[in-house]
Amino acid sequence: MIEKDVLNNLRTIVGEENLLTSKEDLINYSYDSSIDEAMPEVVLFPGTTEQVSEILKMASKKKIPVTVRGAGTNLSGGTVPLKGGIVLVMTRMKKVIEFSKENRYIIVEAGLPNLEMQKIVMKEGLFFPPDPASWAVATMGGNVGENAGGPRGVKYGVTRDWILGLKVVMADGRVINTGGVTMKNVTGIDLTSLFCGSEGLLGVVTEVALKLLPIPPFQQSIQAFFDDVDDASKTVADIIASGIIPVSLELLDRVVINMVEDSRKIGLPRDAEGMLIMMVDGFEDDCRKQSAQIEKICKKHKAKNVEIAQTKEQEDALWKARRDAFGVMSQKRPNCILEDVTVPVSNLPAMVKGTLEIGEKYDLTVGVMAHAGDGNTHPMIVTDKRDAEEWERVEKAIGEIFKLAVDLGGTLSGEHGIGISKKPFMDLIYGEPEYQLMRELKKVVDPEGILNPGKMADALYAE
Amino acid sequence: MEKAKPLLSDQTSEHIYHCAKCGLCLDACPVYREMLVESASPRGKVQLARHIVEGDLEITKHMEDILFSQCLLCGSCVAACPSGVKQDELFSSLRWRAAERHGMPIVKKLFFFVMAHKWIMSTSAWFGKWARKLFSGPAIEKKVIVGNLPISGVPAFNEQPFNSLYPEVVPAVGEKRASVLYFHGCATNFVFDNIGKAVVSVLTKMGVEVRIPRGQSCCGLPIFLSGDRKTSLICIKEVLDQFAREDCDAVIVDCATCGSALRHEHSHILKELKALGENVDDEIIKKAELLSSKVRDVSEYIAEHMDWIPEMKNGGPAVKVTYHDPCHLVKGQGVGAQPRNILKAIPNVEFIEMNEADRCCGGGGEYQIEYGDMSARITNRKVENVEKSGAAMMATGCPGCNITIRAHLDPEKNISVVHTVELLAKALEGDTN
Repeated sequence: MIEKDVLNNLRTIVGEENLLTSKEDLINYSYDSSIDEAMPEVVLFPGTTEQVSEILKMASKKKIPVTVRGAGTNLSGGTVPLKGGIVLVMTRMKKVIEFSKENRYIIVEAGLPNLEMQKIVMKEGLFFPPDPASWAVATMGGNVGENAGGPRGVKYGVTRDWILGLKVVMADGRVINTGGVTMKNVTGIDLTSLFCGSEGLLGVVTEVALKLLPIPPFQQSIQAFFDDVDDASKTVADIIASGIIPVSLELLDRVVINMVEDSRKIGLPRDAEGMLIMMVDGFEDDCRKQSAQIEKICKKHKAKNVEIAQTKEQEDALWKARRDAFGVMSQKRPNCILEDVTVPVSNLPAMVKGTLEIGEKYDLTVGVMAHAGDGNTHPMIVTDKRDAEEWERVEKAIGEIFKLAVDLGGTLSGEHGIGISKKPFMDLIYGEPEYQLMRELKKVVDPEGILNPGKMADALYAE
Repeated sequence: MEKAKPLLSDQTSEHIYHCAKCGLCLDACPVYREMLVESASPRGKVQLARHIVEGDLEITKHMEDILFSQCLLCGSCVAACPSGVKQDELFSSLRWRAAERHGMPIVKKLFFFVMAHKWIMSTSAWFGKWARKLFSGPAIEKKVIVGNLPISGVPAFNEQPFNSLYPEVVPAVGEKRASVLYFHGCATNFVFDNIGKAVVSVLTKMGVEVRIPRGQSCCGLPIFLSGDRKTSLICIKEVLDQFAREDCDAVIVDCATCGSALRHEHSHILKELKALGENVDDEIIKKAELLSSKVRDVSEYIAEHMDWIPEMKNGGPAVKVTYHDPCHLVKGQGVGAQPRNILKAIPNVEFIEMNEADRCCGGGGEYQIEYGDMSARITNRKVENVEKSGAAMMATGCPGCNITIRAHLDPEKNISVVHTVELLAKALEGDTN
């Protein structure tokens, strides 16, 4: 329980209108886009790094848990205040600090949504490659916290690859600046990488310096349909092996295609067992060569139909449908368990096949979507948590999916983070030597254990 | 604790269980965009609805405030939701329960009483017209603003209600190709008779017989969206009596909001009341569904019959025209391409697409009066987009949006605001202005 005088102090720090305690507001900050929920005690909207610093200083002193949050669209429970306490909402800190077109970087406050930032830099002919599906709403701070990916990850990598530096508030209120604004930087121990993907456990990011690229002169999207999803997966592995690195290489199975078509009606063939959506970018003649090569490989694996998007509208509709794919799964039943298991791309066919077999084994509706080009699959189990019997089968299926991924040389999460939902499976990947190091690091940066407690692995909190 | 009468019908509350909390609606919502607080988002309200329905949360005054001040009921979230959640039905039903629980200010109740009783409404509008004439001078001079609506922005009331200007049946010009009923709505009736005249002119020239039933009622939307479902039933029943008929090719509306009410809202409200055991029979629900199937926005209908439009002469220099999508038209009814097709077909119109054409204007009917500050922030974005487009004229299909936007455009930029059909009417008259 947060004492009254502490609440008053917090009120003084952020201002009356930036502190919420009503039951309605607490409910609204008890969830994110994952399945878990927990009530906080107070919700704060800081406006400056100084305010964040004072809040954390006090929270450390009074041992109050602090869960940082952007838009709350994370998929693993990273923004659910598991141990109550403070939810620190960064959405009102969204200023652009500095934008250098010549040096290709932009520094923004952590609460700025990804797409809003993209629109600013695109006006100057630049872009920021990581494009998570939630980019219209998800904030840069959140992107850093989860090391967000997105369809463009095949060619361009993930958020960590595009962060030049961070301003971070430590648990005791100290403010540090990591990295810088130069394209290359090996000055000192690489603190930037430490915080990227740290899921709010090691510090609160208030500013991010982002690396930008010039917008390629040409881009082209291709879609291909298959009678067997295995053929689609093999096509993916083959494309990567052939030396082409497309911008995006996405796979959807029949279940997902039909859910998307039910919702968005863009004319996808409902009987296709597998679909690939791909994009290449660069110079026009080079793109056309890549597309031709991709088409050849698709046809080699018995693609029924290979189409190159002719208009911008067609292209946009296709990619929008892909971005909506998580949401459309809840049309018929309320809950969609979305996993994020990632395997080496040559094992993609086995992972996809295995996932669908597990779904059949447990008599569940399972759809598979994937950032196929980097082996990052998104198995989606459509269910209703209110159905206790089915929920038991869902949990078993999830366990087997994780085990399969690990057996195939893969890992638990490619981009959504561990949060709450994948905690039980961390032992599949790590053992005591790794946990010990993680514990030691955590203890050093957050001695009172106030930053997002209970997340990632129970072994982090063992004494 | 025993559950009393359910708050919402199963059909409405089941929507709650299709919310994946994905958060895509946060991007669509004009209020969330300004406030950046979860309760302002559709997702936030759906989750609060879940706690209410599960008995964990009461509809407190605070909840009522969230439902009314943090939502324009624009339907942008419904269009954006990949899961098919109908947030508008959910929030509309919650507003009803909130109003029941906490009562309504007497001024509002009186206002709705007037709107629901058309003869009182006519008389009041008559007084309103004179009041506007007598008092508007000083009010405009003193720049009186109600909420976020400057009095100067509201056009002068019609000399006579539009309903009294025409016979009940206006014959087609030349060969009769179709016969339609025209639901003109309160805005055209009392403020925008020019729009009504344009609708009649265009349709009759297209060979369509236009039937304008006498003494039309309000569609009821301002009343039921404020939570007063009981009073709104008076309107709904009158509308259905007059317009739910097989013997017409279409029921034409010129207002996006009326269109949305007749096409979607009436059936939802009646079905929910019936499901909750209120006195609503299957007959009236069938009528609502019949009417729903007949409703066409005037731009939708015209675009469906472009080949019926007589030849338009090209005269005069090209005028740059842009278009604002009313939420209730583009999101509520899927009508967006049609007005644009009409505008592009008019000879001396140079059509320009404005930035964020389908973003809400911020008016929300009486929202701009009651919650002027929030409304202003949203409206300012729209006005900026209109002014930046370079257009000399902005067309739209909703009198609400029409009034809200025109009231805030910079007068020095001289951008006129019209209904799409007015431009078409002018072109058909050979008027090259």
